[in-house]
Amino acid sequence: MSKYDLPKKFDYKDVNTLKQFITETGKIIPARVTGVSASNQRKLTKNIKIARFLALIPYTDMHK
Amino acid sequence: MNKYEAVIILNPNLSTKVDSFLKEFTSLLSDNSFNIIKTEDVGRRQLAYSINNHNKGHYLLFNIEGDPSKLIDIENKIKYNESIIRHLFVSVKEHDGDESYLFSESKSKKKDTDEDSEDQTSQTEEQVVTENTDNDSVEGNEVEDNAEKEQEEEVKDE
Repeated sequence: MSKYDLPKKFDYKDVNTLKQFITETGKIIPARVTGVSASNQRKLTKNIKIARFLALIPYTDMHK
Repeated sequence: MNKYEAVIILNPNLSTKVDSFLKEFTSLLSDNSFNIIKTEDVGRRQLAYSINNHNKGHYLLFNIEGDPSKLIDIENKIKYNESIIRHLFVSVKEHDGDESYLFSESKSKKKDTDEDSEDQTSQTEEQVVTENTDNDSVEGNEVEDNAEKEQEEEVKDE
């Protein structure tokens, strides 16, 4: 029912998949908007935060 | 024996010394009885934000296997290595046998740059644009839904 192509396993290195779930300002989009299941949303959040730490995706659009 | 994925971002100015760093790091791992299952040299990559005033970083990915207590020793040694601008060890249940996404991306980019560097930049711009529109459509749908609901409510009121 989800309109996203969710991979079997989320990966912090798969930047293009993760980018679908952050806003232009870099925030994580809530599951109530995207319709991702709670368990998937938890995995997604974890991987987004790892990817942010590794500078693969931004924390915010305010980085200089 | 636990399985780990290691990501190391090197100072981009030292890109030429990557081979010597790799040797150093692999010997450090083997000294601590770690097995290296896979090494991927992703190469220089644009950082999403600047780290220590660096806008690019040289990414190295490792799949390793070893003792958790030894990992602390390794991390303590890495911490004071100034050529590393960021590092991360993630414990995983199973190692991914395939090439990582970053590595395959860097490979395809290298091919593109060999063929035509100008084409490649325009492609990346296009990708960014399409991603943005995706986000908009998500938000746009929600707004439309809300508008429809409001209209229904108005009808009921009448």
